[in-house]
Amino acid sequence: MTELYSTPSTALSRRTTLRAAGGGTLLLGLGLAGCRSAVSEAEAPAGKAGTGPRRGGTLTVAVNSDFTPSLLFAQSGQSLQHRLIYNTLTRYDDRLRPQPELATSWEYAQDGRSITLKLRSGVTYHDGRPFTADDVIFAVKNLQNPLRAAQLRATAAAVTGFEKRGDHELVLRLAHPVNNLFDLFEFMIVTDRHSVEDAVAGKKLNGTGPFKLTKWSPGTGLRFTRNEKYWQPDRPYLDGVEFRVVPQADALLSSLRTGQSQLSFSVPGKNLAVVASTPDLAISEYTTGGGAFYLGVNTTVAPLNDKTVRQALAWAVDRERILKQVLGGYGLASATPWPKSSPAFSETGRTHYTYDPGKARELLKSAGHSRLDLPLLHINLPGDTAVAEAIQYDLKQIGVQVTLRPTDPATAQKNLIAQKMPGLWAMSHGFAQVQPSTLAVSAYPFNEAKNTSKFRSAAYTKVVREAWTTPETGARANTLRQQITDTLLDEAFIIDLVIRGAVQVAAKKLHGVTLNKFSYLNLDDAYLAG
Amino acid sequence: MRGYLLRRLPSALLVLLVASFVAFALLRLVPGDPAAVLAGPDASPETEAAIRTRLGLDAPLHTQYLQWIGDLLTGDLGPSYAIGGQTADLIADGLGATVELTLGALLFVVVLGAAFGILGATSRNRWVRGTVRALTTAALAVPPFVTGVLLVLLFAVLLGALPPGGRVPLLTAPDLGVQYLLLPALCLALPSAAVLGRYLKDGIERALAEDYVRTATAAGVAPRRLLWRHALPNALPPVVTLLGMQTGHLLGGAVLVEAIFAWPGLGQLAEQALVRRDYPVVQDLLLLLVTVFVLVQLLTDLVHARLDPRIRWE
Amino acid sequence: MTAQTAAHPPLARKPRHPYRAALATVRGRTGLTLVGLVVLAGLLAPLLAGHGPTDQSGLALAPPGTPGHPLGTDDLGRDLLARLLHGIRADLGIIAVAVPLGAVLGCLFALAAAAHPIADTVVQRTFDLILAFPGLILALAVTAVLGPGRLPVILVIALAEIPVFGRLLRTGILVQSGREYVTAARVGGTSGRRILTRHILPNAADPLVVQIAVSLTVAVFIEGAMSFLGVGVRPPEPTLGAVLSQSMPYLAQAPHFAAGPLVTVTALVLGLSLTAEALNREIRR
Repeated sequence: MTELYSTPSTALSRRTTLRAAGGGTLLLGLGLAGCRSAVSEAEAPAGKAGTGPRRGGTLTVAVNSDFTPSLLFAQSGQSLQHRLIYNTLTRYDDRLRPQPELATSWEYAQDGRSITLKLRSGVTYHDGRPFTADDVIFAVKNLQNPLRAAQLRATAAAVTGFEKRGDHELVLRLAHPVNNLFDLFEFMIVTDRHSVEDAVAGKKLNGTGPFKLTKWSPGTGLRFTRNEKYWQPDRPYLDGVEFRVVPQADALLSSLRTGQSQLSFSVPGKNLAVVASTPDLAISEYTTGGGAFYLGVNTTVAPLNDKTVRQALAWAVDRERILKQVLGGYGLASATPWPKSSPAFSETGRTHYTYDPGKARELLKSAGHSRLDLPLLHINLPGDTAVAEAIQYDLKQIGVQVTLRPTDPATAQKNLIAQKMPGLWAMSHGFAQVQPSTLAVSAYPFNEAKNTSKFRSAAYTKVVREAWTTPETGARANTLRQQITDTLLDEAFIIDLVIRGAVQVAAKKLHGVTLNKFSYLNLDDAYLAG
Repeated sequence: MRGYLLRRLPSALLVLLVASFVAFALLRLVPGDPAAVLAGPDASPETEAAIRTRLGLDAPLHTQYLQWIGDLLTGDLGPSYAIGGQTADLIADGLGATVELTLGALLFVVVLGAAFGILGATSRNRWVRGTVRALTTAALAVPPFVTGVLLVLLFAVLLGALPPGGRVPLLTAPDLGVQYLLLPALCLALPSAAVLGRYLKDGIERALAEDYVRTATAAGVAPRRLLWRHALPNALPPVVTLLGMQTGHLLGGAVLVEAIFAWPGLGQLAEQALVRRDYPVVQDLLLLLVTVFVLVQLLTDLVHARLDPRIRWE
Repeated sequence: MTAQTAAHPPLARKPRHPYRAALATVRGRTGLTLVGLVVLAGLLAPLLAGHGPTDQSGLALAPPGTPGHPLGTDDLGRDLLARLLHGIRADLGIIAVAVPLGAVLGCLFALAAAAHPIADTVVQRTFDLILAFPGLILALAVTAVLGPGRLPVILVIALAEIPVFGRLLRTGILVQSGREYVTAARVGGTSGRRILTRHILPNAADPLVVQIAVSLTVAVFIEGAMSFLGVGVRPPEPTLGAVLSQSMPYLAQAPHFAAGPLVTVTALVLGLSLTAEALNREIRR
């Protein structure tokens, strides 16, 4: 048609067409010609080049999922903001020894049935109200409420008596001794008792922490400003913190590489190779794992009720390959759930099952099977699918034909809790990074009384209960931990594959960042070097 | 016309009613509920049950449905179950972002469409015309998830000139906001710009072929003047109608583009709410979308019925 | 995309071979060649691919040109050529079933609508409902009920196409019914059924043919979008959308991972669109 009408006489001068095109270019260029660039906006203000800590600047953290206020008291995917807004009673050091935070000292009674806490004085909430023992009492009682979905509810529920001695001393009485009380103190944020319902609705989050939440834009991010009256003198160094939600992995990575954000714990393993090649970024790994990928087995589905078959599966998976190909090499291939920092960790345990398809086939044969067909449920997100595909391929090599069942996270979650998992499932669990007894008491997949594998054994129940109530140090504690580990390995109802600590990607000019055991971000001492 | 409207109204309301049933039932047919999501991966069944009771999910289904409709009619959408905040706020924020993206895209559609149309119809250079034709064909055919990936790869990863995703609201920081808006708006605009460009090109060509234009040309009127004074004014009316139709397409297409560029609009909200089984948010959002759609349908049918007397729904 | 093909109905009865003429134009030939190449690659997948599409190895993210892996390998060490070819095959299998299914069902609905005014209203409002519901939610719900696999993908595509074809045919029938020749035939005593099959349908069918080509591209698009949402075919089976969505995390590190499906999807949809355009132009003439 063009040829039909395009006579030279009607053609326009070049100038006109250029002008028309120029209008478009101008519009395009409008943003680029502006005073700031969105790609380098987050540059810290120019300061003197120095090595020491320096006041000022705003830190932008890239997160892949938004804050969920209703999960404020449960361990959820995104708990980074907890230690910015709030404080906890104590915090663990690298060797799992508690250090003072809002509690300055503590003393266990001889019989282990009560603990006396001395609380920090001169601490105020963001709204100016002073922090007292009543706030701690409320915090514990709050976690006893099943609505809060706190995983450490069992431990909180063991606290049955509160005795206040003035505003800054408190005795907690226990129904029975527990050895993971400091896990609770590490986990439990101390919120304002008057506004807790507003907090879980996301309306008002009032804490004692180093930063005040100034704005939460659902789906977009959070903004914090410095708490000028923080109880630690001269801290924090930063003027403000911003969380920016970037769900897409590639966009998240690119925001780090271009300096739009300076910190993230959400870079998928497969992208870490790119980070390693970026000169301005540093990767650091928290050996205290926040999560572990595992292969769950429903022990009521034949032939998985035979533990020999389950053990065959444990030998068949190439953990090192999953670590390398799916997780970018960051993590630890392990047959036990324990990270290296855990008192229950042992190298013999970790390597109890390694990749040995020959042995797996033999075990399967000895159990009377040469070929099995099993379904495997997994979450339909890219990383989880890749893990499931790797497991499927490895199991195929020993004659186990696996049909994958990709499932959205909510349904998978429902099946897990309702104990409606098919023969196999692949997911991840937490809670192995603190006191080992916490795992068996608080993490549902390992629960002795009721778990998704439908595994029950009187011996496991007994050893778990005893481990929970025995003091955490000493020969007896070690023996009990070993017994838990041995049971987990021998029964293989949860086959651990790879332990994954939090992997931190940060701009090299950012210093002083730490995470607690429950992935609460601590920026008290963080600063952006000039 | 009013009679026609009155006749159409009952069936439109019926569609809304059925849509509310479907929206309500759909989520409850899908396994997994907000209580399970809220309880988290290591929670016990007791915890989950307690949350379910608090959310009122224990109540019989018809009670829940009536409760929802009642809340809607009183104008109080209530709190979201899983995302946090008020449902109305979430939807308002998402709507703002989606409208911003759509308007940005509309601007691109007009600019690019005009460039495509005018260049394609009037350029003397074969290569320019050929390029424009190839560009429009490609822009129309290639799905947004492909162009989106290419745009991110080019402008964000390789050139590092624009952010690959996210949003800064245009009203709070216009200079930054524009940069976040550029890529998603362009990605969303391309197919519609191509459609517009084609119609415009055809229109100009047709107008330029009219007898009076030929006469004017012979009389020595400048070609530029011809274009602006005669060809364009004649080609514009159908293009404006088309633009209206394309705005609807843009709103629909925004959902996918939002996912590619992490743009926190209604599409992102719907996906997030769906994944977390946030019943009230998904239900309200679905009903809102259906309402908008029904209204647009009604308007379109009205316009058609007025324009084309042969189409009658007796 | 549909707007452009909401074709103007023919003004009068045309000579019979417009399709062949359309496909003989440059546009038509280019389109057919592109589609043909992709289809051929899919059909010959088992012969051309040297590896199984799900065979894994320790060689992850090998670059293109690696011996034995001309397009390289993916994150789990699977051959990308094999995944691409089998992905095409899977996509073709899906869209070749889904689009005709949607077209046939849509047309049946339209015919039902033509039969009675009440049926017409019901059908119209049902179409409204389907069109009003976001495809995203439809896809998720269907997959949640049926479980993952090809069937839900096919159903979602068909469901999305039903109102498109239904409305197109319905409009065609309405417009043709008002034409003089139909009135003439009716006055002349021809039965309603005969008017419909002999006069109205043949004239209303042309836009449908164009729409099939357009719908095929939409189907490729829906398959891809569902894979991106994680509700596509059951892994590890490759489809174009699945391979593309798997490649997303590696965009910066290994762009070749995404290159295969990007080029193929572009070629396929471009080919289909060119064919649709060629047909459309010829029909409008």
